[in-house]
Amino acid sequence: MRSKTTKTGYFFIYLFLTIFVIISIYPILTVLTVSLRPGDNLLDKSLRIIPLHATFDNYVKLFTEKPFLLWVRNSLYITLIVTILGVVMASIAGYAFSRFKFPGKKAGLMSLLITQMFPATMLLLPLFIMLSKLHLINSFLGLIIMYSATALPFSIWLMKGYYDTIPPSLEESAIVDGAGMFGAFYKIILPLAAPALVITALFSFMSAWSEYIVAAQTIWYEDMFTIPLGLKSLQGNMTTEWGMYAAASLIIAIPVIILFLSLSKWLVSGLTLGSVKG
Amino acid sequence: MKRVLFLFAILMFLLSCKQQSNVTTVHLWHQMEPPKRPVLNALIKEFEAQNPDIKVVTLAKGTEEVRTGFQAAAAFTGGGPELVYGPMDQIGPFEAMKQKNSDNSIIMPLENIFPKEYFEKFNSMAVVRYKGHIYQIGDRLGNHLSMAYNMKLFKEAGLPGPPQTVSQLIEYGKKMTIDKDGDGKPDQYGLVWNYTEPFWYIPFYGGYGGKVFDANNHPIINNPAAIKTYQLILDLKNKYKIMPSECDYDIADNMFNQGRAAMIINGDWSWQKYIDSPDVQFGLAKIPMIDETHKWSAPFVSSTGYSINASVKGKKLEATKRVLEFLLSEEAQRRFTKEHKSIPSLISLQNDPAIKNDPILKISAEQIAVGDPMPIIPEMRAVWDAMRPSLQSVIAGTMTPQKAAEAQQKLAEQKISSMFDTGSENAKSGGIIIRILYILGILAILWITYILIFRFILVLMKNPNSKQTREARFAVWLAVPATIVMFGVVIYPFIYNIIISFSNMSMTTVNSWQVIGFEQYVKVFGEKIFYTIFSKTVIWTVVNVFFHVVIGVFLALLLNRALPGKSIFRVLLILPWAVPQYITALTWRGMFNSDTGQINQILTALHLHTVNWLSEPTSAFIACIITNIWLGFPFMMIIALGGLQSIPDELYEAAEMDGASRWKQFWNVTVPLLKPVMIPAITLGIVWTFNNLNVMWLVTNGGEPADHSHILVSYVYRAAFNLYEYGYAAAFSVIIFIILAVFSISFMNRTQATENVR
Repeated sequence: MRSKTTKTGYFFIYLFLTIFVIISIYPILTVLTVSLRPGDNLLDKSLRIIPLHATFDNYVKLFTEKPFLLWVRNSLYITLIVTILGVVMASIAGYAFSRFKFPGKKAGLMSLLITQMFPATMLLLPLFIMLSKLHLINSFLGLIIMYSATALPFSIWLMKGYYDTIPPSLEESAIVDGAGMFGAFYKIILPLAAPALVITALFSFMSAWSEYIVAAQTIWYEDMFTIPLGLKSLQGNMTTEWGMYAAASLIIAIPVIILFLSLSKWLVSGLTLGSVKG
Repeated sequence: MKRVLFLFAILMFLLSCKQQSNVTTVHLWHQMEPPKRPVLNALIKEFEAQNPDIKVVTLAKGTEEVRTGFQAAAAFTGGGPELVYGPMDQIGPFEAMKQKNSDNSIIMPLENIFPKEYFEKFNSMAVVRYKGHIYQIGDRLGNHLSMAYNMKLFKEAGLPGPPQTVSQLIEYGKKMTIDKDGDGKPDQYGLVWNYTEPFWYIPFYGGYGGKVFDANNHPIINNPAAIKTYQLILDLKNKYKIMPSECDYDIADNMFNQGRAAMIINGDWSWQKYIDSPDVQFGLAKIPMIDETHKWSAPFVSSTGYSINASVKGKKLEATKRVLEFLLSEEAQRRFTKEHKSIPSLISLQNDPAIKNDPILKISAEQIAVGDPMPIIPEMRAVWDAMRPSLQSVIAGTMTPQKAAEAQQKLAEQKISSMFDTGSENAKSGGIIIRILYILGILAILWITYILIFRFILVLMKNPNSKQTREARFAVWLAVPATIVMFGVVIYPFIYNIIISFSNMSMTTVNSWQVIGFEQYVKVFGEKIFYTIFSKTVIWTVVNVFFHVVIGVFLALLLNRALPGKSIFRVLLILPWAVPQYITALTWRGMFNSDTGQINQILTALHLHTVNWLSEPTSAFIACIITNIWLGFPFMMIIALGGLQSIPDELYEAAEMDGASRWKQFWNVTVPLLKPVMIPAITLGIVWTFNNLNVMWLVTNGGEPADHSHILVSYVYRAAFNLYEYGYAAAFSVIIFIILAVFSISFMNRTQATENVR
């Protein structure tokens, strides 16, 4: 890597990182505390991380008393499709917007952005009317379409921005070598854009994984619940099963972390531009 | 082979149709608390075993979600569940909404389908009549507040039993407010309750003789009773100091449940939890009598029950009726009574020994007897919204009781008139505007078609003569899938909202609205509050995005080097993004609590001033910003990390050879090369933060204190879903949309983000 870091430099880097890590995990440790505490209490005066009479009951109850695995299955099914669709559509559309001149390009890019600007809560009612006219109520297909559309604008813009940093001379030479336009894109540019693909995948995953409002309006069967719906069903108007709620919240972060861990190889290393440019 | 498969598929389809036609499915949406749901589900199972031709699908939601969800489905699409279960005050808003192309409400008048004798079996409060029809039959009475007390703490203090009067309440409360560790702050309080919610204000108000509506359904909440009630709450908190300085539902509930408070005013839904708690010896009492009036405090009492969707017909209606009768039967009511201490609505069960001999149910019934029935008219919603700011301002000490009573009356009148304002006197003058709007609409559609079809799609048909055409054709092919998905999803909701924003759509006109022109826009711009909230929203957005980007890029730079253990740091740092926002936002709310929150405990440990974070507008706003910065920086970090990968090391090496300092390298190499990736992220970050409803809403519990904690979207949300001002909310949203669109387009143009590399 570039330039050497001195010992004091390392000290400060680790100091800053440690401070930020403490800030980021402390509230989550509080969630952990709630999940281990007996008796559904959200708040407590004690500062203990591991509460008195700590118990894994809430975790056990989640798997035995609630169809938690079913919620995970439904969510994974929807989320994985959305992620794949999102990455495919965004990576090709972003490439088009980055590399080529075509009619409607600027308008297209701008209108993608503009779709994000209307307060989402106000779009809910017409979306619901539309979905029910198309008979997409109580259908995973409806959710998949909605979630793909939610994630696309950002993903396309991000991909476009990343492609912009890759010099066009790369695929030009590939085309000269007879790779064809799609071949040049697929074989040369796409691997170089791996970090952006990772972000797109993570973003698509998260937007489908955690969405609640649309799902709550369109899913009427408990056996079709996604994780956010299941989570919300632990909550009443006044009485909430906070222990289980906290436990479930932590468990559903695990797939996100696994995804991040398995993708971060491509996010921060692998093929870097420097190695190809030169 | 294919044909066989096809036939098989048809056969399967026919079979599945046949199966469906034998079994009638009845959907039931309800709002029962989680502990009660197993009883309902067990009952439904029994019912299905007895009636194999009926399948009942239950769906549990929050009270508000049952109401808005049912309305959206029934009024806007003519569908929705056959049965809907909830508190009786939802009948007002349901009755006010009419079905498509008809004057019928979205719920069915039950007197048409049940004989008169059937209703006589129930307590009259459970048979909910409104505007001459019966719309709901309750299976239980209650939802009322009472006073629960912890006998253990009473014994420790040497007190015989619960207080009967408010003066006794104060005397006992003082005895049981104890500072155990001698740090000057009580560790046990005499009394706790959710004193920021008007529902908890009503009992004392009623005890002082206050009423909410006069005979003509006009609010009458500015009177001596209102002032005295405010004074009483203030005194309990500040003069007698028997209540904590910050107390919402969860704080009160947790303190009592953990034996840190001797008395709590709470509803019948909470008792079972306290009975089960190891720290509580549960006792129940009526809310004490007001000394001055010799009148018992009078909480609102309502029934909770079932209504039938007005669109249900024929065989479905027969099945729905059978489900309803079963769930209202003696057998079903007895089960709920036994397991959840609810007061049954059937007269035949009122003298049941199981109920007569239960000490808790006995007191609960006494409390109901002195309570007032909850008004079911939709105006009540406006009254709640009008009382809340006054109540919270009095508690925060920013308003005197007199002023608060005046303010709530004024606000209630204003909200009620805007709730029913259909702007019809302007409908005529809307004629020209409507025509202009139509012409503009047609022009817009033509323009979109031109861009989309003629310029965009037509490229595909062109003969690829030149390299340019070939490339354009290739590009359009790549962009088509995403474009179709986006426009397919977004176009209809957009046009819908724009049309609605020119209309008078509200609760009473969901299916009979008219275009009235710019009235809603005039209303938005005419309110002072729009400008206050707008400037607040700008501050909120700028501060949040600034910190997201600075912290995110800073951390990414630290992590983008050879560093032992960096992958562990990386994972730990994305945790705020990975864990669901809902729970972490609420955790932050808990951390900001002035008594029990960690933040004040840390401040105390550092010998700094503690802050009443959530009860003052400015500090509540800061608390929201801190929470949102915490939630948002990891995502920017991930993007910056990805973006940094596109910068070749050679550039840094070259810069170093030129003798550029680290700082210079950062500005001259890192920033310009990070820009293409960060600009879209920042732009969308701004848009999302501007429109971020969740964080503000969760941390401040929907705008506390006193509706000061709002940004534009949370304000719109409240208007649209609390008081059904659809037209107004749509106009407001269009304005938000225009603000953001103008901003982003100019921002993008300045940063030249739409330009491509060639």
